Amino acid sequence: MNDLHPDIRAYGDHAVLVEWGADGFDADISDRVHALAARLRKKKAFIEVMPGYDSLVASFDGAQMNAASARRRIKDAIVREARSETAVDGRLVEIPVSYGGADGPDLYAMADRIGKSPEAVLALHTGRDYRVCMMGFIPGFAFLSDVDPLLQHPRHATPRAVVPAGSVGIANWQTGIYGLESPGGWQIIGRTDVAMFDADRDRPFYVEAGDRIRFVAQ
Amino acid sequence: MSAPLITVLNGGTQTTVQDSGRPGYRHLGIPRSGAADRLSFAIANHLVGNEWATPALECALGGLHLRFERKTLIAISGAQMWAQVQGMNVDTNRAVEVEAGDILTLSYARAGCRSYIAVAGGLQATEFLESVSTYLPASLGGIEGRALKAGDTLYSLNAVSQGARTLPTGYAPHLSGHAVLRASSGPEFDLLSAESRRYLFTTPFIATPATDRMGSRLRGDRIATDKSFAMTSSPLLPGTLQCPPDGRPILALADGHCTGGYARGLHVIQADQWLLGQIAPGMKISFRRCFDAEAPDILQTRNAVWSTLIPDFSF
Repeated sequence: MNDLHPDIRAYGDHAVLVEWGADGFDADISDRVHALAARLRKKKAFIEVMPGYDSLVASFDGAQMNAASARRRIKDAIVREARSETAVDGRLVEIPVSYGGADGPDLYAMADRIGKSPEAVLALHTGRDYRVCMMGFIPGFAFLSDVDPLLQHPRHATPRAVVPAGSVGIANWQTGIYGLESPGGWQIIGRTDVAMFDADRDRPFYVEAGDRIRFVAQ
Repeated sequence: MSAPLITVLNGGTQTTVQDSGRPGYRHLGIPRSGAADRLSFAIANHLVGNEWATPALECALGGLHLRFERKTLIAISGAQMWAQVQGMNVDTNRAVEVEAGDILTLSYARAGCRSYIAVAGGLQATEFLESVSTYLPASLGGIEGRALKAGDTLYSLNAVSQGARTLPTGYAPHLSGHAVLRASSGPEFDLLSAESRRYLFTTPFIATPATDRMGSRLRGDRIATDKSFAMTSSPLLPGTLQCPPDGRPILALADGHCTGGYARGLHVIQADQWLLGQIAPGMKISFRRCFDAEAPDILQTRNAVWSTLIPDFSF
């Protein structure tokens, strides 16, 4: 497995998994995932084209396509992609966040554990731009690129039953925004009032995979 | 707006409006949704002369009471529920005429989980991304994005209906308390312990009460990953069995999360995915290994049988 030759294998009888296998976050691999996703989506041959951090799943109708031809199409798209100079440079979206307090119940404990002030944690989190690597698991949930190594914290052993919509959290090296209220195990450090998902809005999704995000402390 | 077609007297355990779903948006976190059992849903629509993907009701576990405000044609398919109109038993898998004022009651599901109630001309509901499927976690589609409740009124979509049709003898899917799902190994199958790999395809599981349109938590022999296996959140499809560290796998269904952070142990083949919608709490679930070479033939055969009967239908 390397950048140009990801592992392409079956995911059941009607999907293919393309896996680059990064150890932690790899910006270069993330670019390749999104370039491939964009190319496959343009061709409309697949039902779902789902980018991940270092992998991509493409599902198809087994009556219309077989696994071998699905794999061939993907291999072909990867080779073409490698030849082209597609730069994935999504929009830059600013997200205002209220850190700590009731909006970020895990901020103080996290600051304590790393021996920093809450302000320093906040500065580390807002100190870099993030790439939207993947959307899901619920509508509008944005999985972002890696946080500063000091901020890396494991998920709670027992997930919270309710995490409010707009909550900004950390899980290991990932940071992310909850699109809707849901159960969740991430370390919650803040919350935004921006509705990440609103079915009644012209653009229901505030951000899409490929966009970049800058958190701004409120 | 014309007069209502149906008044809901009791919404039952969970009744929603569904169609064939909204595929193609999983990368945005929007599951396909739609009828959890696509086949029974298609049968119900076919019997009342509708195109197979016309919006209809999906009633989980029973308890639904409806009053018809106008004469119409209905059909019930899917889970085995005791159905009555005006206190008289009515057959499932058959088109039935109801009169204005008639009350339909569905009792509990004796086998299977979800019944589909189609009406000639279909039902009106809110559309989102080209589908009226109800997706409860985000309040999308259907009737205000929620399950039906007493007092709701439903309106006819007035879609073209070809009139009553019949299902040839022997076609109605047989549902029992034991679902056997054909599946192939998932992307992380090899990361499961040797014992777990054997268990997956040989020992039955029981669906726990934590079973809904999103997924079904299973109980059985504990399925464990080798060593301390940590996975980055990755894309996930309905029909995948996720294997978390606590040993109790979760089978993703029609409304299942679009990403997951647990080993994807196995994946149910396309031809058997309709049966995922009939998993009820307490049901026995077995997985039978399906090899890559057989799956396309199974799908082709099943599609051929059903599309001959129901135009444009495919699994």
